[in-house]
Amino acid sequence: MSGRVPVGRRNLFSERRRGLLGIAGTAAALLLVLAIDAIFDGAMRQITRYIDTQPVQVFVAQSGVRNLHMASSSVPLERISDVANVDGVRAVDPILFAQEGLDASVGGRRLAYLFGYVPGRPGGPVEMETGVQPDAGEIVLDAATADSLGVGVADTVDALGRPWRISGLAENLSNIANGIAFVRLKDFQRARGVSGTTSYLLVTTDREAGRVAAAIERETGLAATTREGFSASEHELVSDMSGEVLRIVSGAAWLVGFTVVALTLYAATRSRLRDIGVMTALGAGRTALWRIVLTQAGWTVGLAGASAGALTFALGSALAASSSSLSFVLEPRAVARTTAISAAVAAAASIAPLIKVSRLDPASVFRR
Amino acid sequence: MDADGIRAEGLQKVFGEGEIQVHAVRGIDLAVVPGEVVLIMGPSGSGKTTLLSMLGAMLRPTSGRIQVDGVDLASLAEKRLPAFRAKRFGFVFQDFNLLSALSVRENVELALNLAGVTGRAARERAEGLLRDLGLGERLGFPPHKLSGGEKQRVAIARALANDPAVILADEPTANLDSKIGHEIARLLRRIATEEGRSVVIVSHDARLKDVADRVLWLEDGEFRSISDMATDPVCGMAVERQRTPHVVHDGATWYSCSPECRQEFARDPMRFIAIMSTA
Repeated sequence: MSGRVPVGRRNLFSERRRGLLGIAGTAAALLLVLAIDAIFDGAMRQITRYIDTQPVQVFVAQSGVRNLHMASSSVPLERISDVANVDGVRAVDPILFAQEGLDASVGGRRLAYLFGYVPGRPGGPVEMETGVQPDAGEIVLDAATADSLGVGVADTVDALGRPWRISGLAENLSNIANGIAFVRLKDFQRARGVSGTTSYLLVTTDREAGRVAAAIERETGLAATTREGFSASEHELVSDMSGEVLRIVSGAAWLVGFTVVALTLYAATRSRLRDIGVMTALGAGRTALWRIVLTQAGWTVGLAGASAGALTFALGSALAASSSSLSFVLEPRAVARTTAISAAVAAAASIAPLIKVSRLDPASVFRR
Repeated sequence: MDADGIRAEGLQKVFGEGEIQVHAVRGIDLAVVPGEVVLIMGPSGSGKTTLLSMLGAMLRPTSGRIQVDGVDLASLAEKRLPAFRAKRFGFVFQDFNLLSALSVRENVELALNLAGVTGRAARERAEGLLRDLGLGERLGFPPHKLSGGEKQRVAIARALANDPAVILADEPTANLDSKIGHEIARLLRRIATEEGRSVVIVSHDARLKDVADRVLWLEDGEFRSISDMATDPVCGMAVERQRTPHVVHDGATWYSCSPECRQEFARDPMRFIAIMSTA
């Protein structure tokens, strides 16, 4: 507290309706930015959830492949022993992977990552919401995927050109782009007509994962990536593919926010130009005048930011309470980034009013 | 107050160049000592505002110099002028110019803030001044809830906030009725006499002559002899005898500021002569 009369704040709120409208407009723009960030971050976190939750340390794929999304990997089954023989490798589990359409007679179609795995081994669902792991001819769907298809345990869906009975629902794995489904490895091989190859090998090790991955690459020529590296690679690919649209929407929201803040500040300054002229006549230097404009900017963006933060949090809570497959994650770095950009927007929006007040002639106070 | 007052020598202000050059003020010499009230009158466009702006350190003269409390304004860098204005001058305006977003007390406190006085010291000083001027019950009021006289008293409190050597008043009674105008005039007189400040008033209001030690007539940027001036019996404005319409009544010549005032006087001369004789 400087003990000064808060002229900037008084100016901003003396015309309450205009002040509140400016704050509301800015808050709406910031809410849009934060919500887009939260949806994007939630989607990105969810998109790698299958990888992140697997109880393995290294993903092995065909040479050059280091992700799942839109990738095709084929590893001959005889390479399992090559990988297993690498020093430090404790277990190797093959999985088959394909992006498939799941068809339900009642609920339409949904694109899904379909995995073939050996029940009881890595590669399958880590947590079941209901039901059991798949037996022959059975499938496990992610709960949100089942919800979107309108099916449940004991219902039937078509995939890989044949019907599957749903044996259980896995917890929280699907993402905004596609669902997740699991069948037994043998069923997958049979349905696809593949017998001598698999898509990926999941490696369990007690050693440092990076060193083991490097050793596998060196000794087998296959692509071996730590789980964290595999997840990051998946994240980067999807982010690159879908980030552009989100960046454009986010940019538009920032532009709206900037315009609203700029207009609010300019209008608040312009409507008080006479008062500011009086202040210059009374002896206000440039610092005092700038303090007024920047205070107005700070209050506008500060209150708008706090409101937008609260609304985003409320929106996230509402989405969590609903059965939406939309994952909403308000990352601290997104809040920090929005805060930093808001401060920059406030400063940039203050430029025109700052120039205006800097050019005020103190003698103008005598003109009527 | 212990000050030297304000002194201007050879003050000139020229706006524009070549054919559009305007000499707003031409070679003005003026000294106002502490405790003195000087009233500067003159028609519109005579240079009063330009002179006031220069005296108040808001406008640099083209030539000549101004000293306030012994400080030559020309010696001050541009960026030091605001602080100098805040501490050495008090301004009173025709339109009061109170900041509408602030309360009465904050308006006075703001002037103190601008001079570097903040917090409780500023608040107490502002409240003290306002109480002295009879506004103790109005401290938290917004300016729009005050009468014209109250607004001008707040403006005077604001002008006195930093204990300035010089008070510059621009038409301080113009928006006030006769009674309140007299009160404000007497207040300005008291500020000069009791507090030893130099008071310069620029006005059309001839009633302010009553409180002035000296009356100066400014026309075309120069001071003219006040003996050439007369008072319009209708509106009270000071007018130049040689340039204004007049009416002769009972052997006396009465000067008017405009044909309208002359016609009004002609309709009932005795009424206005009676008012003039009691003024």
